[in-house]
Amino acid sequence: MATKNAEALAAANKKYEWGFSSDIEQEFAPKGLSEDTVRFISAKKNEPEWMLEWRLKAYRHWLTMTAPDWAKLDVPPIDYQDAYYYAEPKAKPKLGSLDEVDPEILRVYEKLGIPIEEQKVLAGVEGSRRVAVDAVFDSVSVATTFRAELEAAGVIFRSISEAIREYPDMVRKWLGKVVPMHDNYFAALNCAVFSDGTFVYIPEGVRCPMELSTYFRINAENTGQFERTLIVADKGSYVSYLEGCTAPMRDENQLHAAVVELVALDDAEIKYSTVQNWYPGDENGKGGIYNFVTKRALCQGKNSKVSWTQVETGSAITWKYPSCVLAGENSVGEFYSVAVTNNRQQADTGTKMIHLGKNSRSTIISKGISAGRSDNTYRGLVRVGPTAENVRNFTQCDSLLLGDQCGAHTVPYIEVRNPSAQIEHEATTSKISEDQLFYAMQRGLDQEAAVALIVNGFAKEVLQQLPMEFAVEAQKLLGISLEGSVG
Amino acid sequence: MSLKLRAMRRWLPKRMDTLTLPSARDEAWRWSDMATLEAAREIKRVAGHVGSTARIGDGPRLVFIDGYYDPDFSEPGDLTLERVEFTSTHPLGQFAAGQGYELRFPPASFTAPIEIEHVVVGEESHLPLRFVLDDDAVVSVVETYSGGGWSNRLSEFSLGKGARLMRAVRLLQDEGFVSIRDEASIGEAASYVATFLGAGGMGSRIDGFLRLDGVGAFAEMGGALLTRGEQKQEAAVAVHHAAIEGTSRQVWRAVAADASTASLAARAEVARHAQKTDGEQSLRGLLLKRTATINLKPELEIFADDVKCAHGATVGELDAKALFYMQSRGIPEPQAKALLTHAFVADALDRIGEESVRDAFKADADAWLEAAL
Repeated sequence: MATKNAEALAAANKKYEWGFSSDIEQEFAPKGLSEDTVRFISAKKNEPEWMLEWRLKAYRHWLTMTAPDWAKLDVPPIDYQDAYYYAEPKAKPKLGSLDEVDPEILRVYEKLGIPIEEQKVLAGVEGSRRVAVDAVFDSVSVATTFRAELEAAGVIFRSISEAIREYPDMVRKWLGKVVPMHDNYFAALNCAVFSDGTFVYIPEGVRCPMELSTYFRINAENTGQFERTLIVADKGSYVSYLEGCTAPMRDENQLHAAVVELVALDDAEIKYSTVQNWYPGDENGKGGIYNFVTKRALCQGKNSKVSWTQVETGSAITWKYPSCVLAGENSVGEFYSVAVTNNRQQADTGTKMIHLGKNSRSTIISKGISAGRSDNTYRGLVRVGPTAENVRNFTQCDSLLLGDQCGAHTVPYIEVRNPSAQIEHEATTSKISEDQLFYAMQRGLDQEAAVALIVNGFAKEVLQQLPMEFAVEAQKLLGISLEGSVG
Repeated sequence: MSLKLRAMRRWLPKRMDTLTLPSARDEAWRWSDMATLEAAREIKRVAGHVGSTARIGDGPRLVFIDGYYDPDFSEPGDLTLERVEFTSTHPLGQFAAGQGYELRFPPASFTAPIEIEHVVVGEESHLPLRFVLDDDAVVSVVETYSGGGWSNRLSEFSLGKGARLMRAVRLLQDEGFVSIRDEASIGEAASYVATFLGAGGMGSRIDGFLRLDGVGAFAEMGGALLTRGEQKQEAAVAVHHAAIEGTSRQVWRAVAADASTASLAARAEVARHAQKTDGEQSLRGLLLKRTATINLKPELEIFADDVKCAHGATVGELDAKALFYMQSRGIPEPQAKALLTHAFVADALDRIGEESVRDAFKADADAWLEAAL
């Protein structure tokens, strides 16, 4: 079987399709990290005094912290003084519509392979499906579409820097409530130097009329991307938020330390989907993004629900644990994840479900696919507090190994302090079976298509949770990410 | 050969002072109860205890009092205890490093179940032991911990081709702390099976590293931890598959009553070349009170692609339907609960092959259940 599998495993070392770098004038903060850098960013964003104080407090706290080393990752030392913490595209001062966007940026979107529907939206095609896009180009949000229509529904969809200026009370109320500044090393760093991101507020009883979408992309050399997302779903509201990432090819490793905070009040629901295909580095592990992300949702209200869906195919190193604090009665947390690693990629990803509310439920479905010389780790925590009655959790983590040079690891933590909880955890590790491959190939598929088909089948439970546009992109991505690993 | 060894083992208090205990900040020790261990070191020495556990069979018996071999209480029969030096880098194992004993079993030998008693009468005691099983040797060992204080044991096992070791270990100390560090190297087609029962009043840490070095080796480590009061017991075991066609099983059950905590961490590691590995972990926890805690961590670390590894973990209370059914058949609730809990624990203890040993362990578990329920 080893030979068969090896057979199943060679081929295409296709270049990173989205590896390009566009020339847009940028304005940089001075290189390095100090209180001055923090002040520079804050001044650049015209932030109020309280915001600057908040950032400085975070920065000072960050100085006292050390980078976490418990993950199964081999992270080379990062020189935080050797990076730019702020890069703003020098475009027009204010943008009224997409036409005003730098054509270079629009071309970048095209190359990014933004789903057809959204391209239409960006191109302004009449009658196209409505998706609102807030694009973060490097660190500053340059275009926000459909703002007016969203505003008619009462939905606030802003870049976070605008929101800090326009809705200071609301931002102040929630910023750092779910992920406090002292939460972890990378969250503290983000609090100090975050340059932009998205703020969404869905008012009581409103079902957001369209899916909200953001594309993050690291462009300039040596700039870290530190975006910040805050989504507040008020009572009885619903929002589906899509986040997609691609980054161009750069030889040096780039740091990405984002923080995403979600708050769901009574009966509210947030669906947060991510397709992440940052540049993973070349086949020898040179270059690539370091992705250290803190994502956490607070299901504060009764019957609230947060669903995380992620397809992780990129980044040289992924350190990411989208979590749910299920504080509300009957609250629901879901985590669906596909993580693909190839070549020398390393991923340590999973979730935390913290059950504090009665009758709270959570589901975790994690599919890890390792190929090449990569390492893929699922790390999860399910915790049930003493007052959380009748908690139900189901966890399934499956790993698929393509080749004998990669690793698949599962590290689930289960901590239960209430006897009425029902916690189940299942995990399996397997490889693509010879029979499956043979069957698919004798029906006329070539090896790569057969593997892509089987892998898509393996990840189906997760992919079907994605909104339509993303599902198509994600399926394509899975195939592309594994090219060269099987043959 | 009869043994007339006096207590010869002495650890070096000076060196001990330089050693530090692991802290909860260390990921592998986050659920450990080092506070109880520290407190156990202070328990004053008292006389008594010695020989208090009933004999299970009529095989050899080795009694260690406070980590010293006691020839007066022991009946070693044909066993030879050799003095050897031990080293260890394990955080607790290093406390036990120094002079200890080695038991060697010749090829194709068969030994009646050996009963080893570790009696601690207070403070701390450390002892390293090594078991060397030559090819095709078959050995059965029953270990019992009793008394109070900190018992720290480092045990090394080396199994030759086709050797078989069946180990049953019960932790019955009234108070204090028992820390066990096991390190095993398992040869081709050899089988190592260890079953633990934690049913005393002490805190514990059962720490194991089993290495399957030979083709087709078999390793099993499991058991039941029963905790009550404020007790904290923990098992942290890693099985490392270093050769092809190895099989490992880790079946652990935890029952936590009152405000106690039981933690189970089991890891299966499969090396790059260890193809055709079959690994299985089953961790289950039963909470008897809402103030109790159960922590589970079934971990897999896999570097080979042609392997079958699965783990299952569950935590909950007794099945309400089963309870209802039993009550509907006329069994009063307390008894129904006891029966179901008994069955839950039996899952792990049934792995003990020797009937007399299994019965003795079940009796200990039953005594615990009776007191706790």
